[in-house]
Amino acid sequence: MPGAKRRSSLIRSPQFSSLVILIVLLVAFAVADANFLSPLNISNMMAFLPELGIIALGMTLLLTAGEFDLSVGAVFGLAPVVVMLLVQSGQVDIGVALLAGLLLCVAIGAINGLIVTKIGISSFLVTLSMLLVVRGAALYITQGFPLKSWDQPGFFVTLLAGSFNIGTFRFYTSLWWFITLSLLAIYVLHYAKLGNWISAIGSNRNAAVARGVPADAVKIWLFILTSVLAGLAGMISAFRISATSPVAGTGYELEVIAMVVVGGTALTGGRGTILGTIVGALMLRSIRNGIVLIGVPGLAYNIFVGVIILAMLILHALLQKNAARS
Amino acid sequence: MEVLRLQNLQKSFGSVRALKSASFTLNEGEVVALLGDNGAGKSTLIKAISGVFPVDRGEIYVRGQKVSIRSTRDAMDLGIETIHQDTSLAPDLSIARNLFLGREPVNLKWLGVFAPLDLAKLRDAAAALLKRVGISKKLDADALVSTLSGGERQSIAISRAMQFAAKVIILDEPTNNLGVEETHGVLRFVKEVRAAGHSVLLITHNIHHVFQVADRIIVMRRGEIVAEQTVADTDLLTVESIITGADMSALLKETRAK
Ligand SMILES: Nc1ncnc2c1ncn2[C@@H]1O[C@H](COP(=O)(O)OP(=O)(O)OP(=O)(O)O)[C@@H](O)[C@H]1O
Ligand SMILES: [Mg+2]
Repeated sequence: MPGAKRRSSLIRSPQFSSLVILIVLLVAFAVADANFLSPLNISNMMAFLPELGIIALGMTLLLTAGEFDLSVGAVFGLAPVVVMLLVQSGQVDIGVALLAGLLLCVAIGAINGLIVTKIGISSFLVTLSMLLVVRGAALYITQGFPLKSWDQPGFFVTLLAGSFNIGTFRFYTSLWWFITLSLLAIYVLHYAKLGNWISAIGSNRNAAVARGVPADAVKIWLFILTSVLAGLAGMISAFRISATSPVAGTGYELEVIAMVVVGGTALTGGRGTILGTIVGALMLRSIRNGIVLIGVPGLAYNIFVGVIILAMLILHALLQKNAARS
Repeated sequence: MEVLRLQNLQKSFGSVRALKSASFTLNEGEVVALLGDNGAGKSTLIKAISGVFPVDRGEIYVRGQKVSIRSTRDAMDLGIETIHQDTSLAPDLSIARNLFLGREPVNLKWLGVFAPLDLAKLRDAAAALLKRVGISKKLDADALVSTLSGGERQSIAISRAMQFAAKVIILDEPTNNLGVEETHGVLRFVKEVRAAGHSVLLITHNIHHVFQVADRIIVMRRGEIVAEQTVADTDLLTVESIITGADMSALLKETRAK
């Protein structure tokens, strides 16, 4: 019975167990504090979600291909800083400045990808060094001071950080970005030829290369994509809060990787799920939000977040073992 | 009729001369066994033919035409399919996706790498292929390769090579780590492949297998081809001594003395 088989494999899949845990968490938070599901709080969560979520989409594809990028948090900080410096000190048009910022991200991603694939240094070391270079650059060019961001209403503000109301809920355009990019990522990873290549490269690079798959080129493009998405997320965030800081995005690389692996994507490559990443992003966001509401002391947040991530990973590992046995 | 001819292929890795000079010819519908001790240069030779890396010097002819093989894609396009010793399948992908890796059937071809996979065709073709090689009963085309046994994986890899009607199929130690039954399965495949008109270059350390399926034997030692014989004209002992480089005349004297 293929139907029953498919159903049971769906239930055993990592994104499904993540979804169940997400629902349990949401219910628990809602019971613990009625404000959790209030329009204001949901709007709040939805404002933050896309910014890390967009980066997580790129990171999912990269992890599936067997690499990862620790420089995303730094790129998140540098990109809007460069844009605003160009506008404020260089008198450059905002549109041109945004384009320049994205091109800088392309360059950073390309350098990461070229060093990893052509020189053969592990992506951990390459992107860790890149984190320092990029963060250092952001601090140096701003002399460590935050900048005021672009706040004149217009096309770009609407495009990146516009907001709209649905009933009593207030949403930002960044949510559309996240939804659109998520759909594209689902299509690419699970339905397109490219996704087959990405999974194959992460699963067994040599086998993929032996079948004529251009593994290095795919990886370089994924590094570029991840960097560009990190820069875009940084710009969205800067526009939303009308400020940009050279230390923005510190620690985001780990939060993003946590979202991705909690969703069920394998850190070792080969197995990636965009749906899982969306669930993971929602989960980490609601945990951070929920534990504040239920009154966990601020300094204790990370204990909770860490414990929940560990619990999730243990669960995935157990399910994986179970699936292999049956 | 000649399908593949190598002339004076050379390849060095730094100071290691893995391939000093290799020349041989592979004919249509022929199974040639490539023998030699560990490190003799067998895998290096077939990696050069299949485009894993370029050779330093030498020529490759396919059906009499001089070709340049710069990538695995070039080799595949010339009809050379290789099943490597250390790599063949991606364990996290389904059987169907593995069978068509690098040659996925797609809709909307103009979308390039973003083209959607033709999943129905993928599954049907995979099922048909599994049926053709006689393993349809056990295996579901949607099953992940990581759930298969070593022998099943080997069968999948070989049927993948067969499916594209490759002129030349190269197998690097296909029976490594396989049980008795699976080994017979692989040898049966080799015979079937030859019956279907393909040429096979088989690398193995098991000389018994050679005598079961091969037409001709080529022996390599330290990067060079040191002997070439038809199976009918030789025997196990002789081949063994050539591989190890034992002094042939001494060996012959010894056997005569007995
Ligand atoms: N990528 C490489 N870099 C450096 N040296 C290599 C490389 N590949 C092979 N060699 C060397 O070239 C020589 C031939 O290796 P090769 O893999 O062709 O041997 P083989 O005949 O296939 O042996 P086996 O039976 O163990 O598989 C060995 O000395 C090996 O160490
Ligand atoms: Mg070998």
